[in-house]
Amino acid sequence: MHSQAMFFRARADERVDNPVLQRALAKAKPLFVGKRAKGIEGLADDGMEFEALRQAAAAIRNRVVDDLDVWLEIFEERARATGAEVLWARDGKEICQLVIDVARRHGVTKAVKSKSMLSEEASLNEALAGAGIRPVETDLGEYIVQLAGEAPSHIIAPAVHKTLAEVEALFACHHGRSPLPRTAADIPALAGEARQVLRQHFLSAEMGISGANFLIAETGSAALVTNEGNGRMVTSLPKVHVVITGIEKIVPTLEDFATLMRLLPRSATGQTISNYVSLLTGTRRPGEAEGAEKTVYILVDNGRAGLLGSPWQDMLRCIRCGACMNHCPVYFSVGGHAYGWVYPGPMGSVLTPLYTGLENALDLPHASTGCNQCGAVCPVGIPLSRLLHDLREAQVARGLRPRRERLGMWAWGRLARWPGLYRWCARRAARYLAWLGGAEGRIRVFGLAPGWTAGRDLPAPSGRTFHELHSSRQTKIG
Amino acid sequence: MSSREIILARVRAKLGRSDAAGRRTRAEAALAAPLRGPQPVVGDDPAGRFCAKASALASTVERVPAAADVPAAVTRYLDAAGLGRCAVGAADLATFDWAAAGLAVAWRGAVDADTVGLTGSFCAIAETGTLVLLSGPRTPASLSLLPETHVAVVFADRIVATLEDAFALLRREEGEIPRSLNLISGPSRTGDIEQTIVLGAHGPRRVHLVVVG
Ligand code: SF4
Repeated sequence: MHSQAMFFRARADERVDNPVLQRALAKAKPLFVGKRAKGIEGLADDGMEFEALRQAAAAIRNRVVDDLDVWLEIFEERARATGAEVLWARDGKEICQLVIDVARRHGVTKAVKSKSMLSEEASLNEALAGAGIRPVETDLGEYIVQLAGEAPSHIIAPAVHKTLAEVEALFACHHGRSPLPRTAADIPALAGEARQVLRQHFLSAEMGISGANFLIAETGSAALVTNEGNGRMVTSLPKVHVVITGIEKIVPTLEDFATLMRLLPRSATGQTISNYVSLLTGTRRPGEAEGAEKTVYILVDNGRAGLLGSPWQDMLRCIRCGACMNHCPVYFSVGGHAYGWVYPGPMGSVLTPLYTGLENALDLPHASTGCNQCGAVCPVGIPLSRLLHDLREAQVARGLRPRRERLGMWAWGRLARWPGLYRWCARRAARYLAWLGGAEGRIRVFGLAPGWTAGRDLPAPSGRTFHELHSSRQTKIG
Repeated sequence: MSSREIILARVRAKLGRSDAAGRRTRAEAALAAPLRGPQPVVGDDPAGRFCAKASALASTVERVPAAADVPAAVTRYLDAAGLGRCAVGAADLATFDWAAAGLAVAWRGAVDADTVGLTGSFCAIAETGTLVLLSGPRTPASLSLLPETHVAVVFADRIVATLEDAFALLRREEGEIPRSLNLISGPSRTGDIEQTIVLGAHGPRRVHLVVVG
């Protein structure tokens, strides 16, 4: 996907003013937060603790990341031993080439897809269409955004930004029927309509493309977690199955997978388990009348190796649960599309600059209030706030901040070297701002930085500087 | 250099770790002796817990005392739901006397037109109310996927406490993992339109469990 992350501010502004989007987001947030909270609370009923599980999960993911070369080789060997083919892709372009090659070799004209964020990184759908292969997204949310010609706005709820009315309009248009007035009671009918349309695609496609939630080294398997069952269709009905995953997705054993599965659905949707958890291994066995006859893994780098040994290595633990965005005040103000690339929310604000270039996503590390709600809920203990902070530092170190900001910081740094002068200036500023705030103590328009007061009031300082308050209190105590 | 070599070389360079052989040996050792993480306390009535959890996930459950009661229980369920008396089923259930209960079962994988899929289960998991199904020549995975109704037979003595226990059983009894191992927890569902949960997204709308013993 071509990144628009450098336009975050403009894209965010548009979306803050979009009442339809704001309604959709306002509806989703309490549901996401409430469901996860209930799911995590439920752990206690079974005598488990979130913290202990999280530490175990983080340890599993760290073990893999620390010896990634070794685990990749083991996975590759064992997957090959089951009859699967294992291919490697350095970047999105190579993913597209490999998938198109496989499709051509097997005479594929249509590919059904189960959610794969990596195929978004690669803009695979465009490439397939360009090669005369029709890609059909089958996760209901992904199907909706595909019909709309959009990208997903959330990693587990791709169409969270779409309202019922919008879905109805899309279905009417693409399913060749006239639009109907719809209420929430019609949602099952709409889901049923999509089921019918997509069922025919499942049955006629020659190729299924999926991601994998995990790769299991022990058995050379791909683990796929879905609620709809589309993952099962995509990976078992077509004769060719292509799995596209990042190189960091490996877990060593089935036991490790079990530990992670206690956290993934709970963190994502609050479920104790998703409806379908499938472990797919190799190809159709002797005597079987169904199942893919050809299975191809594409192990993708696309920037991941660059995080190893860097301050951002922790990010490779991510299991793509979406909890960080579900608890992010910024995400719920601007929606997923504002972030401008594949991954939104806090994890996206870390990954986008790292995968697409620091200079191409300057605002994202700043799209955070620093509240660390994301870090608090992350099931693999990724210190998202710290990673965002480190990205801000890296921007400064590489001289990527805007000239005005750099100049301001330089001037402030110089001033701080003369404490007397600094205090004098601080006093002036505090008095001036207090005066500006008036009796209400709120600054409505701040001429020096009008952006700060464009959408809110700035609380005015009391008129006394920190130093003044501090020394007056010291005297009292003394 | 191939992409494989480039990626692996990059990973090694970035990790900056030596002793690949030693690390490999340790990884293989970890695979040979898998360790379990924190597990739930499941209690001393796994079958009871399995039924309660499965019901909470929108499956319907009936317990019958003996295997001989299964065909009649399935027919009762299908009649009550008005689902007809035709099914496709997994051959490992062919030994039950379905004809006596008035049920016509074709022992094959499911196609689009089939309405009822009948399966057994490798085992079931009390922790989450989950069925464990293994694909194979006699147990096609399509049976639990394409028909709108999935009826599964579960033997109470095959209900294990946790997911780890299910994997242990798999290693012990099967030795190897099948092409597809499916953990199924209720009818398929979606919440993709305005976060409203709808049952029967792409897979079955109804999952009915007959628990024996
Ligand atoms: S960063 Fe953590 S919370 Fe966010 S998606 Fe990844 S695992 Fe989930």
